[in-house]
Amino acid sequence: MPIGNTQPSVRPASAGRAGGAAPTPAAHRHGAQPRRTRGGLGAERFAPYILVLPAVLIIVLLRLYPLLLGVNFSFTGDGAQNGTAVGFGNYRELFGDPLFRTALSNVGLLVLLLPVAVAIPGLLATFIYLRVPGHRFYRSVYFFPAVLSPVIVGAIFNLLLAFDGPLNAVLGSFGVGPVDWLGDPDIAMFMVVGVHIWATFGMALVVFLAGFATLDAALLDAARVDGASLRQVVWHVIIPSLARTIQFVFVTTMIGMLTSMFGLLFVMTSGGPEGSTYLPEYYIWIQQGQMNRPALASAASTILFVIMLVVGLLQIKLLERSGKED
Amino acid sequence: MRQRAIWSAVLVVGLALTGCGSASDSGKSTSSDGKLVVWDWKSGEPFAKSYLEKAKADFKKKHADVEVEFVAQPFDQYYTLLGAAIQSGKGPDVMLFNGGGQIRDRVDALVPLDDYVAEDRQRLAGWEAFGKDGKTYAAPVTLQGYPIYYNKAIYQKANLDPASPATTWDKFVADCAAIAKAGSKCFALGNKEGVGIQFWLSSMGSTTLTAAEYDAWIAGKRDWNSANVKRLFQTWKETGDKKMNSDGANSTAMFNDSFALFQSGKAAHVMGLMSDVGHWQDFNEFLTAEKLGVMKAPVVTAGTTPSLPYDGGIGYAVAKWTKDPKVAADLVRSLSSADALKAFYADAGAIAADTTIDVSQAGPAVATLVGELKSGKPALHVALSSKTLDLMGRLSQQLLSGSITVDEVVKQLAASDQAG
Repeated sequence: MPIGNTQPSVRPASAGRAGGAAPTPAAHRHGAQPRRTRGGLGAERFAPYILVLPAVLIIVLLRLYPLLLGVNFSFTGDGAQNGTAVGFGNYRELFGDPLFRTALSNVGLLVLLLPVAVAIPGLLATFIYLRVPGHRFYRSVYFFPAVLSPVIVGAIFNLLLAFDGPLNAVLGSFGVGPVDWLGDPDIAMFMVVGVHIWATFGMALVVFLAGFATLDAALLDAARVDGASLRQVVWHVIIPSLARTIQFVFVTTMIGMLTSMFGLLFVMTSGGPEGSTYLPEYYIWIQQGQMNRPALASAASTILFVIMLVVGLLQIKLLERSGKED
Repeated sequence: MRQRAIWSAVLVVGLALTGCGSASDSGKSTSSDGKLVVWDWKSGEPFAKSYLEKAKADFKKKHADVEVEFVAQPFDQYYTLLGAAIQSGKGPDVMLFNGGGQIRDRVDALVPLDDYVAEDRQRLAGWEAFGKDGKTYAAPVTLQGYPIYYNKAIYQKANLDPASPATTWDKFVADCAAIAKAGSKCFALGNKEGVGIQFWLSSMGSTTLTAAEYDAWIAGKRDWNSANVKRLFQTWKETGDKKMNSDGANSTAMFNDSFALFQSGKAAHVMGLMSDVGHWQDFNEFLTAEKLGVMKAPVVTAGTTPSLPYDGGIGYAVAKWTKDPKVAADLVRSLSSADALKAFYADAGAIAADTTIDVSQAGPAVATLVGELKSGKPALHVALSSKTLDLMGRLSQQLLSGSITVDEVVKQLAASDQAG
């Protein structure tokens, strides 16, 4: 856990850190110099390139080249127009399709719900760290859903959330009318996201607990001695100390939400009701597999790729900046 | 030092080459002489065993030297995998298709079979679902129809005569009110995937559209603005508004939650299938053959005559890239041979495309169904493209939840239908 390891060095003050960082490159230079004078052969100059070649080849041949093929393919037509260039026709069709627009707006919804998805494991990890009664039990129980496959989780919640299912039965016993959890377009997406958070927050919880392990207990004790309330301890001591852990969880949770909801969607709602739970991934699958529109699906994939690229770059920026602030 | 660099270069190039080689190898599907590869989603099932044995034996008589390999694909990925195969121009020689949109969207990759299957024309029914622009691309194995099944026990409980279910829509709605009083739902409906509306369209089509409108619809001249087409969607909405459907229809899966509701006696009617699942054999098992009835669609538009909507259900087609289409077509013919289809009917509980098979052992519901095949017509929804069906599924959910009007629905469907 690189984040955890850097944490203790915060305390010995900034001077210590600067001093610690400086010797490393210097040592390198000292060690490397004698070797370089002795070498100087052409082969040695080639060696690094040859050593990275396998990795570069794999990335270029199996990643970048197919990616370019896919982007290229997205500018061709489907069916009778197979293979002929249609320019931006597929993209125009995509943005004219209300279903694809729903899928994109659902991505926006996921981004909005991200703080919730991070706050839940964060809060629960805090409680475990503060040793609420039964914290050992909760620690293992919270992680349990993370080992279940999305299909199994989806099937379980399909039963629980069915119109005549147990959740509505419980609500009914309190006199609350039944809710069609997965059949109401205004609710269904929130249910799927909720189930996704339930199924995956265990991982984030573990990351948080690892972050807590590096927390300086003296700071907490000092805060308590000074008479800080629980809320003040969380706000002024725990959150600032865990800033980098929180950012890491933000990044991984975002990636998880954008790339691994397919199984749940497939099992729980099939994109419905009324197309309200479509995500780009699901749209791509439907167009390619069910509608026989591979080129259109390629265009949608390209858009999803661009979205992921932007989100990824933003997150890297964010991490870099926070690294500097540290 | 130089040697080390050379060695590593050799190693890298070698690795890269083997990497490329294996990647392209795995994408290739064998289609050498003397071997036919068949893709389907049935051959892995135990019930298909004797069917395949019969078909293979029949094929062996014609081409003893040709080996046949069946590859069962998972159904939910079938058309995705097939799409990839079609895109690359390599794949199975013979493949199974659902009739209607699924095969019509892909005829570019298929061989027209008209010259090869001429002898089977009379014996088999359901060819239309596998044809496009006057050419036939697959030979039917089963027939798929959309009859309305009902539970006679619930009729008795509601003081209705199980022998004579309603023949008009108004009477039917009244009967449903009586059934509701007796504590059951009228329809078991699963519309989570948006398939419920497809069954509705086809089951109610013959008694809502006039005969001329019906034939025009099948021929591709669909007037979405006609009063009777709108009526089809109004009656669908009516079942929702009058709470005739099982609860939470938009979140209930048709396969197989809605059929389970019918089987367990919670709903009096279901628009089911003739073959595969959700059909007489499944229902007989739970409700018993005596309690299971098949009714004609109640008349919505005066002057119409109910007919059973059915098409070719599944059928085998020949890929364009196969080496010898004649041999592959012979395999397709063997897969629809009389003996093979008899085995399919008996083991899988399907109404086979061969109408000469004796079905008298399977109970009154099947006898009724087979009796109605002669006057039956192609199902309305099978004539629509996958894209329009997908849109219709979503719109039907909106109709049930009341967030769209019938006029808006037919407007959107007309636009989608005309776009192709």
